Amino acid sequence: MAATRVNRRVGRILAMAGKEVLHIRRDIRTLYLALAMPVLMLVLFGFGISFDVDHLELVVVDQDRTDLSRELVRQVTASQEFVVVQDGTSPDEALGALRRGAATGVFLINKGFAEDVKRGGAQVQLLVDGSDGNTATQALAKAQALVEMAGRNLGGPVRVTAPPLEARVRTLFNPDARSAMFLVPGLAAYLLAIVAVLITALTVAREWERGSMEQLFATPVGRLEIVVGKLLPYLGIGLLQVLLVLTVGAWVFDVPVRGSLLALGLGSFLFLVGMLGQGLLISVVTRNQVVATQVATITSVLPSMLLSGFIFPIENLPPPLKLISTLIPARYFVATLRGVLLRGNGLDVLWPQLVALALFAALVLAVATRRFQRRLD
Amino acid sequence: MSTCPDVDVAMEDVRRGFGATQALKGVSLAVHTGEVYGLVGPDGAGKTTAIRLMAGLLLPDAGRVKMLGEDPANTRSPVRESLGLVPQRNTLYGDLSVDENLHFFAQLFGLSRKDFTERREQLLDITRLSRFTDRRADALSGGMYKKLALACALLHRPRVLLLDEPTNGVDPVSRRELWELLYGLVHEGMTLLVSTPYMDEAARCHRVGLLYAGELIAEGDPRELARQHGAAASNFEAVFLALVEKRTGGRAA
Repeated sequence: MAATRVNRRVGRILAMAGKEVLHIRRDIRTLYLALAMPVLMLVLFGFGISFDVDHLELVVVDQDRTDLSRELVRQVTASQEFVVVQDGTSPDEALGALRRGAATGVFLINKGFAEDVKRGGAQVQLLVDGSDGNTATQALAKAQALVEMAGRNLGGPVRVTAPPLEARVRTLFNPDARSAMFLVPGLAAYLLAIVAVLITALTVAREWERGSMEQLFATPVGRLEIVVGKLLPYLGIGLLQVLLVLTVGAWVFDVPVRGSLLALGLGSFLFLVGMLGQGLLISVVTRNQVVATQVATITSVLPSMLLSGFIFPIENLPPPLKLISTLIPARYFVATLRGVLLRGNGLDVLWPQLVALALFAALVLAVATRRFQRRLD
Repeated sequence: MSTCPDVDVAMEDVRRGFGATQALKGVSLAVHTGEVYGLVGPDGAGKTTAIRLMAGLLLPDAGRVKMLGEDPANTRSPVRESLGLVPQRNTLYGDLSVDENLHFFAQLFGLSRKDFTERREQLLDITRLSRFTDRRADALSGGMYKKLALACALLHRPRVLLLDEPTNGVDPVSRRELWELLYGLVHEGMTLLVSTPYMDEAARCHRVGLLYAGELIAEGDPRELARQHGAAASNFEAVFLALVEKRTGGRAA
């Protein structure tokens, strides 16, 4: 008897899931939104967003005008990470160019530089446009490295001095300091969050809007069966998205998978369940596709981008936002992805992130199912 | 509350409002096993609210609703296994074909493969949809769509069938076909409650309840009601207008 009841439940869940698959097959836009968009956006974002310093426009103020100072400039600019846009100007003119935005840095070599090198130690100054903190930080780091290398070639230590800048700590497991290495995992979480929340919010709200919920509620199908049946196909699509995004990440951006596949799979599953649950909750509350789209976008795009550590490190957030970020599942998924992909972590290290993802998923699904009454009022 | 064993659907002093609007103002009625009960009234009379309450899709503010002796709003009740509903709106899946819609609802009602194959043939035959099994539901004509909705609601052989304005927007030929179909179901022992704004359809019912502004203003055999008001059974509109006039003192009719 109990087995028959369970069989019937499973049958109804599979019926709901099968129907959803038919809808997806009929509406190619859903598949595009689910599969093509994340990959397309990953490629565009991956190439478009880069925190790597390259071709930094430099004004050179060489007050020493010796062979040694000219050689230093040549060596520093040889790598093309810095390019000279103006040379032979006064410090005041150079600062003016910086203010106008005509250059992003001023490389200042004081008079007596060559003699200082011969005496055993010289300093040069790099002034960077601090309105772009990331560029400034990286420019300083790169300049230091280049100048120190050049100094060794020139026969004496040369150091770069600059106004104090707060340096952002970058992963030790990204020795080439490539933006793609830390952007791709963050982007994957961000895109999955948007697509999962949006698709679910739309599909359930559509049932309300076109009245098919009325027909469903007149059948023996239970609310949990509707919820699970509707979410299953999108969970499958979501996991396919993860695979696609990671494949594109590895293939196009050389992002490795160094850690535990089990932790990666579990993290992806829990994150997707949470995001699908969030979409369901939105659709249950709004019952309208337009409003559901807006709410889904606001509650998935902004937190996943700003409070997940995708772009801005969590540790740099102001305390209130840091506290709010603890409620954002993308934060834990970004940490999981970076842990598995870049640091080679496994369950032993990542279990707190997975517990947080599981808690969010359980909570949001429980609330959504509770709010999802089998009635039209 | 009627406790007669042959009462399949019962409402007792049921009230239901939506904000400031009172959709039902203390409606009591009983639908007996094997009869065609017509809930007749103009738009906004409260017919859809009454049917949704009977199907357990809404809760009453006051009063009681019973479907086959059970509270239809109780989700643990097995009453849904014995209930069929054809809503007023087009609530099937328009992007699914006739066959896919039938298969989906058969799965929800737990029909075995053998049962479904047999039932599908029967229903496609009586609804004359056999030639359109691959056609998407939203590409069907109004009458064909209603027949498909009826077929989906009949898959599990319900004891009670609730139809909310099934002939609304349907051409006269399809209307007649639908009614013939419904009579066929009654011969099989099914209980039917049909709401309609068309007064001429009242004569097709065994009993009617005339609903006006949320109140049941008369109930009984349509022929008897017509005789009482000195009208022909075919001119039920005159009966309805006379009853409304009597109720409102001539203000609304």
